[in-house]
Amino acid sequence: MKILAIETSCDETAVAVIKGSGSFLVLEKNIVYSQVDIHTKYGGVVPEVAARKHAETIIPLLEEITGKNKLAGIDYLAVTAGPGLITSLILGISAAKTLAYANNKPLMPINHMEGHIYSNWLSNSELVKNPKKYFPALVLIVSGGHTELVLMKGHGQYFLLGQTLDDAVGEAYDKVAKLLNLGYPGGPIVSRLAESGDGQKYDFPRPMMDKKNFDFSFAGLKTAVLYALEKKKKLNQQDVKDVCASFQTAVTDVLTTKTFKAVKKYKVKSLLLAGGVSANSFLKASLASRAKEIDLPFFYPELKFTGDNAAMIAVAAYYNIKDKKKDILPAKKVFSLGPQSNWQLTKNKI
Amino acid sequence: MKEYISNNQKETAQIANDLADRLEGGELIALSGNLGAGKTVFVKALAKALKIKEQITSPTFVLMKVYDIHSVKSSHMRGAAEPQFNGVKHKKADKFVHVDCYRLRGQDDLYDIGLGDYLNYDNIIVAIEWADKIVNLPERTIRVDIKLLEGDKRKITILWPKN
Repeated sequence: MKILAIETSCDETAVAVIKGSGSFLVLEKNIVYSQVDIHTKYGGVVPEVAARKHAETIIPLLEEITGKNKLAGIDYLAVTAGPGLITSLILGISAAKTLAYANNKPLMPINHMEGHIYSNWLSNSELVKNPKKYFPALVLIVSGGHTELVLMKGHGQYFLLGQTLDDAVGEAYDKVAKLLNLGYPGGPIVSRLAESGDGQKYDFPRPMMDKKNFDFSFAGLKTAVLYALEKKKKLNQQDVKDVCASFQTAVTDVLTTKTFKAVKKYKVKSLLLAGGVSANSFLKASLASRAKEIDLPFFYPELKFTGDNAAMIAVAAYYNIKDKKKDILPAKKVFSLGPQSNWQLTKNKI
Repeated sequence: MKEYISNNQKETAQIANDLADRLEGGELIALSGNLGAGKTVFVKALAKALKIKEQITSPTFVLMKVYDIHSVKSSHMRGAAEPQFNGVKHKKADKFVHVDCYRLRGQDDLYDIGLGDYLNYDNIIVAIEWADKIVNLPERTIRVDIKLLEGDKRKITILWPKN
């Protein structure tokens, strides 16, 4: 089957086409209208431009990806219905609904976080070839807007084990970068500077590390960095690197410890990393090393699939359709679909 | 105007609680303060006092989040006297909107993210962080400013609109 997916949950406008059958998955086309250039110009996301960009770019992106054959070969449409910013979501959903109705194609609404989980299927053929071998899987999703630990019992079967109670990991990195006046995008800059910094120089707190639940909290870590900077008054280049390294070490400590507590508790067969912060090599290395100690298969997406993209949405749709995990909207019934800005993966008690 | 000195998060929560008690619906609360001052901590406490069941998380990246306030409105019996709910008087508000302007440039951006759908409604309370980035907030705005003092100490200034 061929699936065309649309993703507009926040800053990114993205479209993709995948072809799948059985345990055979091919990404045919993938376009992500990266708005980083605009951000750099204005010093942060500028929704006026971003929202307008979604409206301006969605049609050209769709025309680009479908070409002169339009939706001729496409069997299904998929769109991110949530979570995210409502105005952004609406743009993608409206485009998807219109296409579905006008071309008589069924439409599958997809959860953005589920998409991130499936970014791993794009980069790891092992997961595609051996569907049952790696379930139940534990997924750590870390991005600018989200930090969640999800138990994936099988395709379309999720249990949200825990999440951040305040700031997401990506956001914490971004704000520490701001405190240090490091420019945009802050996260990668902090990570780069941390490489030549002393991770033990500052003993920043590891919030919630010892709590029995799987929730996280990074706001306190942010203020700890703030207090350290106030105390220090003046920082030289090495100080900045040390703060970055110590901050990164603290964050990674918490994420790794809690992730492996969950690994042990739920006796999972694999660990998956997802979300924009999955690009962070320090975190990947930390998780990989712990995984190796216990011979646990560890997967993460290629760099190009770590951020928001439509390819991951298409893959999520593929498995939901193939395994009949969710109801698909027939073309004539698509208008009932609305944005679900707070859509959470299941928070059932296990 | 009222000035408070808070020694810790618990005291900040109490101040937010007192503010929540005075809210009915339709209010716009603008929060200002530097990174780490405690704007989100304040909003979380406010939300808890408004009996919002969901976890309030930082809306920095997603920009705006909408929550349901589980007021007693739905269980109000027709003809009955003003309902009481845990001793708190009946309030009109059933939605709480949490906006974060940290990544925004100004006024226009607020409307582009869809805030217009939630402003000036009797049943909606709106809290905006980093509101000092917005120039023309309406006169009816309740302003909460949080200043960092030493350690966990904060100075919280609440400015009520004239009326």
